[in-house]
Amino acid sequence: MKNKNLTYYALLFLIIVLSSCKNEGEYHSVSDRIKAEEKPYHGTLTSEELLAGRDLIKITEGEHTFLIPERKSQIKSFACIECHSKPLSQMKGTDKAKAHWDITINHANIETMDCATCHNGEDMNNLKSLTGRNIDFNLSYKLCAQCHTTQFEDWKGGAHGKKISGWTPPRASMTCVECHNPHDPGFKQRWPAQFNTKKAIERNEGLDH
Amino acid sequence: MGQFKVLKSLVVDSLDTITKGSLKYHLWMGFLTIVILIGMYCYSIQLDEGLSVTGMNDRVSWGLYISNFTFLVGVAAAAVMLVMPTYILKDIDFKQAVLIGEGLAVSALIMCIAFVIADMGGPAVLWHMIPGIGVFNFPKSMLAWDVIVLNVYLFINISIPFYILFRHYQGKEAKHNVYLPGAILSVFWAVAIHLVTAFLYQGLQARPFWNNALLGPRFLASAFAAGPALIILVLAIIKRFTEFKVEEKTIKKIAMIVTVAAQINLIMLISELFKEFYAPTHHSESAYYLFFGLHGKTALLPWIWTAITLNVIATAMLTFNKLRNNLNVLYLCCIMLFVAIWIEKGFGLIVPGFIPGPYGKIVEYLPTGIEVGVTLGIWALGAFIFTILAKTAIGIELGKLQFKSKKDTV
Amino acid sequence: MSENKKWYSLDLGLNKKKGSSGSCGCGKTEGGCNSHKEELSAEEFYEAAINASIGEERHKDGFEQVFDVKMDRRTAFKKLTASLLIGAGAVSTSCSLTTSGDAKEKAQIDWEEQFKGNYKLMTDDEKKKTVDRLMRSYELRTGKNISMTAENAAEDVLFGYAFNISKCQGYMDCVSACVEENNQDRNSEMQYIRIHEMKDGEGFKFDKADDNYYHEVPQEGHFYMGTQCFHCDDPPCVDVCPVQATWKEEDGLVVIDYDWCIGCRYCMAACPYDGRRFNWSKPEVPENEVNKNQHYLGNRMRKKGVMEKCTFCVQRTRKGKNPACVEACPTGARIFGNLLDPNSSIRWVLENKKVFRLKEDLGTEPKFWYFMD
Repeated sequence: MKNKNLTYYALLFLIIVLSSCKNEGEYHSVSDRIKAEEKPYHGTLTSEELLAGRDLIKITEGEHTFLIPERKSQIKSFACIECHSKPLSQMKGTDKAKAHWDITINHANIETMDCATCHNGEDMNNLKSLTGRNIDFNLSYKLCAQCHTTQFEDWKGGAHGKKISGWTPPRASMTCVECHNPHDPGFKQRWPAQFNTKKAIERNEGLDH
Repeated sequence: MGQFKVLKSLVVDSLDTITKGSLKYHLWMGFLTIVILIGMYCYSIQLDEGLSVTGMNDRVSWGLYISNFTFLVGVAAAAVMLVMPTYILKDIDFKQAVLIGEGLAVSALIMCIAFVIADMGGPAVLWHMIPGIGVFNFPKSMLAWDVIVLNVYLFINISIPFYILFRHYQGKEAKHNVYLPGAILSVFWAVAIHLVTAFLYQGLQARPFWNNALLGPRFLASAFAAGPALIILVLAIIKRFTEFKVEEKTIKKIAMIVTVAAQINLIMLISELFKEFYAPTHHSESAYYLFFGLHGKTALLPWIWTAITLNVIATAMLTFNKLRNNLNVLYLCCIMLFVAIWIEKGFGLIVPGFIPGPYGKIVEYLPTGIEVGVTLGIWALGAFIFTILAKTAIGIELGKLQFKSKKDTV
Repeated sequence: MSENKKWYSLDLGLNKKKGSSGSCGCGKTEGGCNSHKEELSAEEFYEAAINASIGEERHKDGFEQVFDVKMDRRTAFKKLTASLLIGAGAVSTSCSLTTSGDAKEKAQIDWEEQFKGNYKLMTDDEKKKTVDRLMRSYELRTGKNISMTAENAAEDVLFGYAFNISKCQGYMDCVSACVEENNQDRNSEMQYIRIHEMKDGEGFKFDKADDNYYHEVPQEGHFYMGTQCFHCDDPPCVDVCPVQATWKEEDGLVVIDYDWCIGCRYCMAACPYDGRRFNWSKPEVPENEVNKNQHYLGNRMRKKGVMEKCTFCVQRTRKGKNPACVEACPTGARIFGNLLDPNSSIRWVLENKKVFRLKEDLGTEPKFWYFMD
């Protein structure tokens, strides 16, 4: 009698224990779930609202097609030929030479780069590739991509740079020049935006309060 | 209906007993009441300002409350060490001790619950935890298990002594087959409450200090040392201040339990120390912090070394029959063991689990005055409840409290 | 999914009936949680409760008139309890004739908020009601309007995050943006994100890293690494919560119902990534800094004694935007997206960069990857 009762208790206990075993659904890991449920997103959420009112250009690079911001209208002194009415060589020595006094090049070194590496003295409204072909100001990333090939690959894939859109399609990426000043592309040292005084107190004087 | 009358009379009689007593008794109860009131005042501050008045923070998010909770679960579980021989093996020796032990378990459990509630950020929504009305994460959450096992254990430990006392109150013998199933169940249950409480910590992969297989067994061993040690002390006090007869034989038998449990506990401690320090890994940092300090932070060193010293000395002394059989030495050892295990299972277990934090950051923990106040208040509450229970139980057992039917009194 | 079997919840008119509750909790099914049916069952419940209490004679008697006042349907039981408490004076304001209508309404809202059910188990309709109440309550207290929503997880979406260790310069713009976006307590300077400054050549030595530096960054010879809630796919914090106040939504976000949390901090102990924060005191945000675009599970105002954590800015991401940290990062070190969409940037990162996760041996399956250029 007593033994029977004990068996029942044991069985009940076993059932509870077994039922509490981890039951994590169908997938062993998150990559399994991704593999099983993957599906190009065509849901109701879009970035259209975020992109509304922005001038965007659609580009296709390799297998990636996405939007980038239109650049020319953002440049204050565009079109360049409004001043650069003659080829650069003929403008030297005139008083207009001081117009770009605030630009100093801090990009690679002088053996590798000078103004003429990217700017076409003959046609100031366009940029120029290493082989002397014209590159539109709107597509300035092509210029950067000539040297920065790995960054270009990452940018196309979405691993380098920032987005204008959210995570939802359509994809709209910033181009190189939104973050990097082409004449001085490096990020500068500066003070961090935050300092947590409470954390400092906790750690350094933890027991003094 | 008759039972109802008896119950009413029991309540009246016990109220009568607990409000009358010697001056010492009144002083004791008055003292406890004052401490409880201080604790309640501290708790009201905590309720008002939030848990920021405690020493806890995002790094060490459990402190004195949960430490005491953990320790007291062990004390509560220890009642079983007395239940088993008495009710199941029918060893008459323990009969008097059992009622005291279960009274101790009841008050320890009430203290446990009080500590958990004191630790909650939102006591106003505690009803979310009540099965049926709230949403219970059973069986996944170990805390849900703990709530269940603790409450059931509380129920068992209230109902068995109540039944026995109720029968004795009427001058009848308690029926064996009524309370025996409950007693058997409570034996399993006591192990369960302790294991489940250990699993609460043991199951966290985030805290390597807790996440080891020895935690549960060590909980049991230390509980079966500290709990009966407390029972010995309480019996000694009762023996001294009341007419309740506690035989020396009983105390010595309990002392045997304490000794064996303390020895096992010590062996496990050695095993744990070996694992942490023979081939220290990244996961041994908490142990380093506890025993030697880490990066100059040494808040727990005095505590843990006091605990280990007391623990080793007490266990060594208890091991020798001659010393153990000397009651005064035994009492001293019990005090030492109790304090040692309180530190070891409380502070020494909970706090280093959080230090260093998941990213190696060290924030030390010291309880604030308010926290200590609430803690003392809850201990006083436990002592208060225990005194009431013990006084009534002793009254009944001594035959002072007996049901008199109307005919007799008139 | 058999998930709703684990919940032992008696329906006191607080939650809706079983059955379709699973679809809200795991969100696996369509967003709409069959609110029509729920409404019905709740009505039935109401009827039953009235019937039970007054039996046959239920024709516009005084009892019913009392019960018929403008209150929504979580009535019967609550009213019975309420009347008890009113007797005790606990909610005397709510029935006092002398107090103004606003105070009365406020008390009514507070009452219903105190005894509402777990958000995880609510129907869409109930979610909307609690959100409406919270907005109204904010208006009554401050005189200002907020917009709070309760969007459910979108279909075919699983959020993931990638962090480029080579790009992060330690500017902490993300931390600032996060605090502002998510209305975190300014008094205790709560922050979800930590940026760890590590020494070059020492590897990922978190214990030696400094996550509270204040000097010009990037510092010579150091690199930077951010941590926050990783929204694990197998989150230990969710398993341990005794009341299911925290759970994983179907789009992968691990969220908390602040009103259901009891503040036991077990989840905090269970999190291996330091992803959770506790409100040790009443959180305070200056009125003019409050972000008024809120989500119930996201950046709405918290109270003291509850947990909170990063939600990948659920109030933004469920509208298609990126989280505030991603948007604020000046270096593009943070990538966010839909893991299920093979055309998303996050997927490109996972497939083309060498990615790793922290403490993978714990089996928590974080949805937060690190990579380097």
